[in-house]
Amino acid sequence: MPLGRIPQSSYYDARNRPGAALYRARQPYLVKNAVTGLFIIGFVAGVYSWTIRAIGQDDFSDVPMPDAPIQAGHAPHTTAGSRSAGPA
Amino acid sequence: MATVPSICSKCLRQAIRSTPKSTTHRSFTASASKSPSTPPTRRIHHSTRQRTPAIEPQNHSNATPYTSGAVRGRQTDQAAAAQRQPSRVLLQPNNLFHSYTHSPSPEIRQRAAFMRQNAYCPHPDHHASPEGGEAAVAPPRHVSHECPDCGIPVSCSPDHFVDDYASHLEICDLLRQINEDDHDLLSGRFFPEFEYPGPQIDEAQVNLTNWDTLLYSREFNAVNEERPMRQVTRLLTYPITVGSVLHELSPYSLNDRLLPEGLRSLSALRHTLHPPRSGAGVDIKGLRPNPPPMRLFILGARAESSLPREVWLQLSHLFPRSSFHLIFIGPESMSGRDHEYPLPERTPINPFGQIVEDRLGGQMKISTYVEYYHTLHEAQHFHPFDPYFDAFVLFHPGLGHPASSHEWKETLPQLLETKCPVICTGYTEFDMERDISWVRESCGGEADLLMRPGENRFRSLRWDLNDADPGDVSCGNWGVWAFRGKRYEADEYRGKEGDGSGGWDR
Repeated sequence: MPLGRIPQSSYYDARNRPGAALYRARQPYLVKNAVTGLFIIGFVAGVYSWTIRAIGQDDFSDVPMPDAPIQAGHAPHTTAGSRSAGPA
Repeated sequence: MATVPSICSKCLRQAIRSTPKSTTHRSFTASASKSPSTPPTRRIHHSTRQRTPAIEPQNHSNATPYTSGAVRGRQTDQAAAAQRQPSRVLLQPNNLFHSYTHSPSPEIRQRAAFMRQNAYCPHPDHHASPEGGEAAVAPPRHVSHECPDCGIPVSCSPDHFVDDYASHLEICDLLRQINEDDHDLLSGRFFPEFEYPGPQIDEAQVNLTNWDTLLYSREFNAVNEERPMRQVTRLLTYPITVGSVLHELSPYSLNDRLLPEGLRSLSALRHTLHPPRSGAGVDIKGLRPNPPPMRLFILGARAESSLPREVWLQLSHLFPRSSFHLIFIGPESMSGRDHEYPLPERTPINPFGQIVEDRLGGQMKISTYVEYYHTLHEAQHFHPFDPYFDAFVLFHPGLGHPASSHEWKETLPQLLETKCPVICTGYTEFDMERDISWVRESCGGEADLLMRPGENRFRSLRWDLNDADPGDVSCGNWGVWAFRGKRYEADEYRGKEGDGSGGWDR
């Protein structure tokens, strides 16, 4: 038996579920709290979704893109043939 | 399981010696603090008390925490606890309905006999018809026939009962509930709802929306069932009604039922009841000048003066930084307190023979006068009155009731003269309306309404039976309203928008 009693609230039953008295004490605030909760969650969800959309890829479909340039058939620029000016 | 009181022998002996004569039956039992971590401020020893079962509101068991006999004890006191426990449980919870005449309890059988001798049958045949002027068909007879559904004698014969059944049906359920509640009080069960909590820390806020939020925020034991809720609110309604009107978090506001004049009076009182923090502490440096206590004059006190003092202390626990002086005044203020007779002698020091109880924890003092209020007022016994400190409370005064209104005739102008708020309650709406119209007619335009009448949020949830008339059920403090003498103040002229009618028509 512990020296000091572990404080127990009589408003919760043996399995720590809220009792009838606690439910009645909370009742004037249940609906208002639920609506407030919905508002808060909705605000958070709104901020989240707006942010994800805002940082997403830009849509350039309305910008007129010029045609791709006509390529001559020479090989692409390589570094193998040029001389390097390093310490020799 | 019995817990051991941890207290030294010197303090134990002093505690047993110091219970004064006037409060032997009303021993202030220190309630166990709920959280052992908060240090008690003015107590040297922190003792957890043994739980005394079956505390009934009428006969308060005079078990103090220190009479267990275990002084330095390591012994658990099972013998004493078993002695205090009733030897058998009289009634099981499903066996609470009994006819009053054949009740297992002798007190209820006595009440049934009283009803048979005093209550009259309500059948219209016993009354003369109002239009004709002819005599009644039958002479008035006492009730004897009991209704089988509610167990209470309501008519003089089975024929009248069957005739009047429709009107009886309206209250039959209520009477049955009263029957079961009465037997429940005598059933010998353990009453956890009558264990009242002590004071809380200063910062704890009380929620005065309804009974459930109040009991929760004041840390009462959870009352899950309805029947214990009815039993406990029947007693607590008296202090809590007063507290709910005076508290700054009161549910009655200008949008609700309070009038501007009421707000002025109550603001003055709340200035005293909720003083700003002054840095006071328990040591010498923490000494601060304290204002005088708030005086509550409870006029026409009958049963409320015999309530257990732990119930009245709940009022002072609602206001942690102020002190109270409750003054019960009335010819019947000692009803139910027979063990305190004989009354003190009238000496020059105590000219009206008041009984003073001041060992109630330091925040409350209770005085009782068996006297009419007008006598004390004419003797200027309580003068001067201060609207910041004084208020009058009238619990179901019957101001307009034909049997008692003549007793209030002299008192009313004196109450109006003090300019202190008068908080009144009533048994029913009809009762309150009668009181209000009586005050309105008798005041001569000198009274202002402070709070409009209406249902009291903290009314007793239990209905009571009037033994002299079983059809008359009432609940304590059903409604509450307030008035005050008109104050004529010099003020700048602001045009004609303020009317001086006093708020009676709103």
